[in-house]
Parts: sequence; C-alpha cells; structure tokens
Amino acid sequence: MSEGKRTRVIRTDYLARVEGEGAMYVKLDGREVAEVKLRIYEPPRFFEALLRGRAFTEAPDVTARICGICPVAYQMSAVRAMEDACGVAIDAGPLRDLRRLLYCGEWIESHSLHVYMLHAPDFLGYAGAVEMAHDHCEIVEQGLQMKKSGNAVMALVGGREVHPINVRVGGFYRAPTRAELRTLVDPLERARETALATVRWAATLEFPDVECAPELVALSEPGAYAIDRGRILSDRGLDIAPAEFDAHIVEEHVEHSNALHARIRERGTYLTGPLARYALSSAQLRPLARDAAREAGLGPVCRNPFQSIVVRAVELVQACDEALAIVAGYEQPDAPAVEVTPRRAVGHGATEAPRGLLYHRYEIDEDGTILDATIVPPTSQNQLAIEEDLRAVVERSLELSDEQLSLRCEQTIRNHDPCISCATHFLKLTVDRG
Amino acid sequence: MAERAAGEATVAEQPAVVVIGVGNALRQDDGAGLEVARRVRTRASAPEAAGGVEMAGGGEVAGAGPMAGGGEITVLEYEGEPLGLLELWDGARAAVLVDAIRSGAAPGAIHRLDASCEPIPALLRGSSSTHAVGVGEAIELARALDRLPERVVVYGVEGLCFDAGSELSEEVERVIDTLAEAVLREAADLLAPQRGGCPDADRASSLSRYGEGRE
Repeated sequence: MSEGKRTRVIRTDYLARVEGEGAMYVKLDGREVAEVKLRIYEPPRFFEALLRGRAFTEAPDVTARICGICPVAYQMSAVRAMEDACGVAIDAGPLRDLRRLLYCGEWIESHSLHVYMLHAPDFLGYAGAVEMAHDHCEIVEQGLQMKKSGNAVMALVGGREVHPINVRVGGFYRAPTRAELRTLVDPLERARETALATVRWAATLEFPDVECAPELVALSEPGAYAIDRGRILSDRGLDIAPAEFDAHIVEEHVEHSNALHARIRERGTYLTGPLARYALSSAQLRPLARDAAREAGLGPVCRNPFQSIVVRAVELVQACDEALAIVAGYEQPDAPAVEVTPRRAVGHGATEAPRGLLYHRYEIDEDGTILDATIVPPTSQNQLAIEEDLRAVVERSLELSDEQLSLRCEQTIRNHDPCISCATHFLKLTVDRG
Repeated sequence: MAERAAGEATVAEQPAVVVIGVGNALRQDDGAGLEVARRVRTRASAPEAAGGVEMAGGGEVAGAGPMAGGGEITVLEYEGEPLGLLELWDGARAAVLVDAIRSGAAPGAIHRLDASCEPIPALLRGSSSTHAVGVGEAIELARALDRLPERVVVYGVEGLCFDAGSELSEEVERVIDTLAEAVLREAADLLAPQRGGCPDADRASSLSRYGEGRE
C-alpha cells in the first residue's frame, strides 16, 4: 500500500450468530496489527457467589442456568465435582451410560445449531440462516431435524429439552425404561444419516489456508472419545487430573473483557473444543465417525479453525452413533441414583461441553454446604486463542477491503462457537488502577 | 412435504391456536411473556372466559414440547432456544406469541405486530434475547421454510429491567392483565373459523400500540 502507516480500525460492536453479547476490535498501523480484542461486554452474573451457602445437591440445577445451549455440560461437571468431593465415582454402568446419552443429546443439539444455522452461512455467503433458508432450505431443514433429535434425547433423559431437571448428584431422579429409550432409535438413526451427509457436505466447502498455533487441550480417556470424564491432556505434553487444573491453569482479568482470560502457567495460550478433542482422541472415534473423517480428508489432527465445521460434523456422527449404542445396550438400573453423603472436602469435575473443556471446583462443608465455587467455561479459556487467531487472519488478509476483512474476522470468531453468556463471570473483580 | 421425525406421540392432536409466552423467568421483565401465558390460562379456564374458549389442559410447560389436549387453544410457556418455536406451533392454524422487548419505547408499552404476511421489522428481530437466533429470526426462518402457521400475531411488552431476578418491574406488572386480556381475545378471534390468511389491510400495519399501556 502506498499510503505508508495508515491506521485502519475494523470493529463490530455487536457480533451476530454467537451466543451472548460480544464485540470485536482490531487496529492496524500500516501493515502491522497493533491491537486485537474480543470484547465480552455482557454483564457478569456472579453464579459462583450465588452458589456459596447453597446445598451441594443444588449445584447441578443452579449451574444449568448458566447456559440454555449447554446446560447438561454444567450439570455433568457439577455432579462429577460433587461426587469427587464425597468420594463417589460413577464411572461405569447404566447411570454413567445415561449421563453420556444425555450429553450426546446436548452435543447433537448444540453442534447442529452451530453447523447449520450459525456457521454454514459464513461459507455459503449469507448474512444469516434466514437469508440462507430461501436458497438452501434443505440445509436448514436438516439442521432442524438433527436438532430435534437432540431435543428428544434431552426431553426423555433430562426431563425436558432446556435446563434438564432430572439430573442429580449420584445419578438421576428417575431412570427411563428400556422401552422409553427405544423410542429414540428412529430419530437418532435418521440423525446419524443426516450427520454423515453433513460431513460429506462440509468437506466440500472452501477453507482459507490457516492454522491455529495454540496448545490443544482436551479430556482424554483410554478407548473412548472423552466426553464426561478423563484426564486433561494437551498435544504438547500436558497430562493432569482435573484436580490439578488450578495448579496448571491461571485465570486473569483483562480490562477489555468481562470474561477472565485463561492460560497454561508459564506456557500461555491454549485452545479447547472440537479441534482439541479431535487432535487428542481422533483415534478413539467410533469406526463410523473415523471413516467419515477420513473420507472428508481430515488427518489425525486438524489445526484449521475454519475446518472446525467438518470436525463438528464428525462429532455429530460420533454422538448419534454412541447414543444409539447406549440405547441398544441399556438395562434399567435398580435405583436411579446412588447415595452420596457429604463430607468436608474439595471436589473437581471436568467434562467436554460442546465448545470445550468445562471445569468446576467446589469446596463443601461436612453438611454439604457449598463454601466456595469456581467455574471455568470453555469460551473464557478460548478467548486468547481466538484473539491470536484473529491476529493471524488479519495479518494474512491485509489486502481485503474493510468490509471483507470485518466479515473474515467475524467468521474467525464464529469458528470457535463462542458462548459469551457462559464466559461472562469476572467475579474476582480487582481492577488495578495504579 | 417435509418429513417429520418420529417420537412425537404428543403432537398427535394439534390445537387450532397456540398461545406461546416466551421468556426467561430468571431475568426480571424477560419473564413477562411467561406470566402473561399463565394469566391467559387462568382467565381462559374461568367460566366467564372470553368467547367461551375451550382450553387445552394446563400444567407446567416451560420449555416442553406441544401439549396434547382436547381444546382448541393451547397455552404454552417457553423458556427455550427460539428455534424450538417451530416445533411448538407445528400444525397449528394460528399462533399468538408474547415476549418482552426492548425497542426504546416507554417501559410497559404494548406492541402488537401481525407477522402473518409481513416480515418482523429489523428493530424487533433480536427481541430481548441474547441467543444467537432470536424470536423474530425464528419467525422469519419459519416463513422461509413455509413452516409458519397461517396467522401469527406477536405481542411485545416493553421491558425495563433484564437483570437477574424473578420479579417483574412495576411498569410491566401494571400492564400484564391488560395484555393477557388482549392476548386471550386475539386467540379467541383467531379461533373463529372464518378467519385465516392475511389480515385485513387496516390490521396489517406492522407495529401498532395496543390499549393504554402507559398511564
């Protein structure tokens, strides 16, 4: 460019097609990216403070309210943490199967919303799902049909489609019968077919040639594509139990965001979510999902955030197939829950929300009263990685017009399906004003 | 015709008119739509209900699928993600939606919008939702997919407070009964067999103030 050090500002004050309220700000000095900010301005909600003084049994229902898209993730991390504190582990058997089934339902619901309604318009050149529906109604109908299958799982196992009410510390309030679960077979089989078609379709989209650099962090469990339990691993050697999360991950407040920024101590930015899960567990995918990934041209690791749409589609196949396997092998348990007796302790729970790792830590009293709570949602962990992505994308796209660059930046953010409502929680408000 | 997924025994008998209160019960005025739905249900089941409306079974619905019922009007409270609306009104001839909105009008102001034939104005697209897809967008998506009931009327009440809490603001609380009355009358109106298709020209004006929302 001939004008030398011209300053360009690319900003979007209200990000569309993400959950919650956020903004983006990019400042360029000439060809240099001077500043990149993903701003989360949705007000904080103080859930952690709200939990203090409540009974340990209330955590799954209270935290489910943090998000209408991924309430099951909150419930699952909460019950695991509470059971950990009380010395109970539900690691096998029908209760764990039901939990995984419910979680699969949420993945199906959340991923199909993102893949079809929020992400697809970026690739097909539409402002949103409504505009896209006029020309591609079959894509939108597929998305709605898949989402409905996820809803059916949520309604049956969780008691209702949003903010499930059937989950409790120790298990469930009521376990469905075999016959009830069988009603899920038809919709799930149809959803699985649609998911396979979605992988094939997503693979045909055009992706800019970019790679994200951060360390990839996800739960990992031998022999399984980890969802609801496991150790926290990274592609660069991190290997910790959920109880060690605090020792390795630091959260800090930054002025431009109402969400805390997380980083690995002495290492820095990391990314959680589909790309991280896939990188760490692609070998553990069920054969159907693994084959679909291979046919779509995915290697064992995918670092292109734009291709996350393909990875999410593969995870849709995985979730449908696993859900069907659980339904096929299900035997109704004798009791819908095991007894959990509180004791004075600290418990940790980490599970894979659709958007990435969700960590809960609770300290409870001998009568089960919550003394302290910490919740670290995936989007706040991913914020730095998203900003780094933005920086890399802008550096490579300087020739684009402001309008095109702005769109490219928004797409870069949507690649990570941020849930801003979840991330907003800067409880530890200590602003240093010097 | 789009194929419908199975597992929907509950949808076997669809009401002619579905009234859906939309909102979040834990976000103060955002719960207004839910409260209106509850009061519509109470009014409609009272013996002197407007037009002798026959009601579907009541009960808790929040976020649940369509309720089976023998009546002609079904009242639902919905706290879920707005795309779920497409399932809730699936098969119904008409839908009346009630939601809190933030359009800049005075708190408590009631808006009535006939969305049967005209798109929802951009101003109201997002309604008060921070979800990726708002109520207005769900309506427009349904229209594009030909999955909108023949008649869709949206009532919006201008909210004041959207913070954590279950109480409605005084301004909104004051108009809830008026709004419930209007919604019930609208539903009864839509139930009349001769109605259908696009509304008369005089009712088609996109955004009209209803009643005396403000003092």
